[in-house]
Amino acid sequence: MTITGEVGAWSAREDAVPAVLARGLTKVYGQGDAAVHALRGVDIAFATGAFTAIMGPSGSGKSTLMHCLAGLDTVSGGQVHIGDVELTELNDKQLTLLRRERIGFIFQAFNLLPTLTAEQNIRLPLEIAGRQADQVLFDRVVETVGLRDRLGHRPTELSGGQQQRVAVARALISKPQVIFADEPTGNLDSRSGAEVLSFLRTSVRELGQTIVMVTHDPVAASYADRVVFLRDGLLVSELAQPSPQSVLDTLMKLEA
Amino acid sequence: MLKTTLAGLRAHRLRLLLTSVAIMLGVGFIAGTFVLTDTIEAGFRQKFAAAADKIDIVVLPAEGEGPEEPAVRAELLEKVRGVGGVAEAQGIVRGTAALIGKDGKAAGDFPTSGISIPEGRLNRTEIVSGRAPRSAAEAVLDENTAKTRGFSVGDTITVLDSEQGKHEFALVGLFDIGVDQALAYTGAVGFTTATAAEMTGEKGFREIDVVTAGGVDAETVRRSVVAAVGAGAEVKTGAQYADDLAASNGANTTVLMVGLLLFGLVAMFVAALVIYNTFNILVAQRTREMALLRCIGATRRQVFGSVLLESAVVGLIASVLGLLAGLGLGAGALAVLGRTGMEVPSGGVALAPRTVAVGMVLGVLMTVAAALLPARAATRVAPIAALRSQVEEQTFRTGVLRGVFAGLFLLAGGGATAYGVSTGPGESALYVVMLGGALTFLAVLILGPVLVRPLSAFAGWLPRRLFGVPGRLAVDNSQRNPRRSATTTVALTIGVTLMTLISVLTATSRETFGAKLDEQFPVDYMVQAQGGREGGLPRALAEDLRSRPELASVVALRTTTAKVGGGGARDTETVGTFTPAGGFTPKAVTGSFASLGPGAVVLGDQVAERLGVKVGGTVPVETEERGAVRLRVVATFSMESSLLPSVTVAEKDFEEFFGRLDDTQVVANVRDGVAEDRARRAVEAAAQPYPTAMVASSTEVRGEFDEALDMMLMIITGLLGLSILISLLGIANTLSLSVHERTRESALLRALGLTRPQLRRMLSVEALVLGVIGALVGVALGVVFGWAATQTMTTGVIFRLPVAQVLAFVALSGLAGVVAAVLPARRAARASIVGSLASG
Repeated sequence: MTITGEVGAWSAREDAVPAVLARGLTKVYGQGDAAVHALRGVDIAFATGAFTAIMGPSGSGKSTLMHCLAGLDTVSGGQVHIGDVELTELNDKQLTLLRRERIGFIFQAFNLLPTLTAEQNIRLPLEIAGRQADQVLFDRVVETVGLRDRLGHRPTELSGGQQQRVAVARALISKPQVIFADEPTGNLDSRSGAEVLSFLRTSVRELGQTIVMVTHDPVAASYADRVVFLRDGLLVSELAQPSPQSVLDTLMKLEA
Repeated sequence: MLKTTLAGLRAHRLRLLLTSVAIMLGVGFIAGTFVLTDTIEAGFRQKFAAAADKIDIVVLPAEGEGPEEPAVRAELLEKVRGVGGVAEAQGIVRGTAALIGKDGKAAGDFPTSGISIPEGRLNRTEIVSGRAPRSAAEAVLDENTAKTRGFSVGDTITVLDSEQGKHEFALVGLFDIGVDQALAYTGAVGFTTATAAEMTGEKGFREIDVVTAGGVDAETVRRSVVAAVGAGAEVKTGAQYADDLAASNGANTTVLMVGLLLFGLVAMFVAALVIYNTFNILVAQRTREMALLRCIGATRRQVFGSVLLESAVVGLIASVLGLLAGLGLGAGALAVLGRTGMEVPSGGVALAPRTVAVGMVLGVLMTVAAALLPARAATRVAPIAALRSQVEEQTFRTGVLRGVFAGLFLLAGGGATAYGVSTGPGESALYVVMLGGALTFLAVLILGPVLVRPLSAFAGWLPRRLFGVPGRLAVDNSQRNPRRSATTTVALTIGVTLMTLISVLTATSRETFGAKLDEQFPVDYMVQAQGGREGGLPRALAEDLRSRPELASVVALRTTTAKVGGGGARDTETVGTFTPAGGFTPKAVTGSFASLGPGAVVLGDQVAERLGVKVGGTVPVETEERGAVRLRVVATFSMESSLLPSVTVAEKDFEEFFGRLDDTQVVANVRDGVAEDRARRAVEAAAQPYPTAMVASSTEVRGEFDEALDMMLMIITGLLGLSILISLLGIANTLSLSVHERTRESALLRALGLTRPQLRRMLSVEALVLGVIGALVGVALGVVFGWAATQTMTTGVIFRLPVAQVLAFVALSGLAGVVAAVLPARRAARASIVGSLASG
């Protein structure tokens, strides 16, 4: 296990090795008759420096897939790789350290600790890991998401959009190998949502960040480089360079 | 609505459990107190009744005057025997008859009592082995004394008569002392009635017991006996006598009960704070639930009722459990008391109806009352809150009203305390200080939420730096809801305040007493007769001590009592003298001891003040040999720091006034350069020929006092332990509810890379900070009011702060907080991240 320390510059990641790789991934909840097969054998790779959206109808297993890929949940079968590390063999502590070092998160809601200011929230993952933030990177990230004048505020003093931008900044600051975003715009109005999605796309284009986003919104998905579609725990389709219309069309076909 | 409440109760079973335990412990303690005292009282009543059953009529001395024990004149016995309807009458003798231990010295600090054991029906003592004494050469011992002094039936025992003459008796039996506290304290030797009278030198009887002839009404005979004995005695029937005895004993039990109940009430108050906090948090967490109920048509009154009903059910269940716990506690306490050798009645323990009523009413009322405010808060939930996705964080602002009230209480409390301290020592000053303490505590209670933030910043200073991110988050969390943190910690503060107070009091008493002892007991050894009897040491003893090369400054003190002063100031005082010796120079406050010659007197300062005389004045003293004499006052001395009798005359004068008396005390110092143990052997060798001569050294006296203090400290600490335990339940409760509230927050932190141990540490540190805050406030209050209380105890108090103990309280409180956090922290760390993120 050499996941600590090796973080690397973003530019160094643009190679053939996918940032995230899953093989034969299965996830079963419950047992016997009550067993629910959330994932029935998913094979998927997420290229480094790409923005990928995971879509699918409710109950398709898209959130479960993300939780399994991010090491938040255990898998029932198959393998998950983050870079060169195999997740399914790690214990809780190793998984925690892996998340700390290599993964960033943006959740739909309740992303921030209410007791900390925006700046403290942004720096939190680094501090948990006992690392110093790169001040140049910090300034750049803060500029990018436009939070310079809100740094001293606590989450309750920020709007929903501002809160999500703080979450984006927090995910970016530790230069993770991959950022998982779970419905990051689900609670936002369309303007704030568009802003947050732009920042995500900018970070991919300009910083070479790898982002995997779960969403059910075709417009949000259209910001990604690639959209993969899940149904009943299986990967059923994918689209490159999607538009809202093409995503919607694919979804319609899946629902039918 | 009822169904909803009950369903809610079932759902929150675990959370309400801790609350129930808090009430249960409080009610249990109070019920246990009742069970204990009821059982003891019932046991005594039963024994008295059994004893009184044997007597039909008892003749007791009329309330006497003077220092002598009142007695029934001996000739009354024959008169009583002559009354018609009296079948049998026996006089009971009781006096002192010192048992000599196997080491040749009189046994115990006080001489054993000598009592008569009548034969036949009127024998009330229970012989547990052997038999009652039948001749002048036989005696019995009480079981306890026999055991501690190593005597058994068949041995020969030596007992001193009232003239200190030795007599040997065959030990023919052992008896049970029963419920007589005085006898239990001294131990007792039993003789036949005639021998008892000879040995104790008592001329009269303690009581005359009468059995009436069959078929005669006791009350009729009683009247005849009254007529026969006249006004010199009191005559009661056996039943009346038993009632009177039980009543006077009941008073003792009441003191015990009130003392224990005080601790019980403290525990209940702490429990009430815990309940208040729990319901507050429960209501806050169920805002959406309440709002939903309001949405679908529940009125405010129904919501209010629902919360109160919930508290009533919790209170009811907890009180029932508390009563059961009380039964166990009572039985346990009895068992412990039995082991320490206290006479404990063997009857079974039982819950009296009064105990059940008090326990239930107190438990339920306390719970419901503590839930009133939270219930009112529940009614304020707007229906629209059901639709909000996130529960808003409670914000706290210091209101003007809060500041004004706190200020008023603080002012009143500080004022009362300052007044109490300034008025000088005395009981009323102590009460004023106690009132001041209570008022100040109320101020702290009101100010609590304001104090939490700075205090947690202070208490969290080290953890913040020591424990990294978890430490910082923990300290932030402890300030997050000041009101909740304040109530949680105040519960602990109560216990810590009282503990600190007690330890300050004991440390200061120890120090003050030690200093006073050095002043009052400026000697290494003191010899006096058992029980401090006046003139109990033959003069030869002091002569022997003076002849020993190991000792220096041997001084004999002789005392007697005499009427001193004239007019309204005339009163009985200890009058005495001392034999001069090199190196013994008593200090005078005014005047000089050098002038103490014929016709002169030295007075203790308090006596001089009472008599209103100064150096140069005269004092009348009633003497045995010379009648009334007027003595010239040449000096006064401090009675607190001297061994001298309060009215001291020259040696020659004393002999002229009161005759050639023996010594009351002989004091001696170790000669310089002589080893302590050699000196001790010398003193003991000199005292050996005199069985009742007791040797004490200053170190022993101090040791005994220390032991007594330590014992008291231990008992009080044990009793306060309960409230501390309850407050820890409160911390555990608050934390587990906070953990529940912050489920998603914890999950987020875990997702961001906080390991399980780090999450656990975060909660432990939060609990640590809460514990330390509670302790800091408690220690501050305890020290201040401990100081104030010691100022009201006596003059010349040397204040001593038991720093190590106080620091230990703070450290232990923090540690206890950490222990309280173990379970909540485990639960928080175990929660699945995915599940927690989805919840709420």
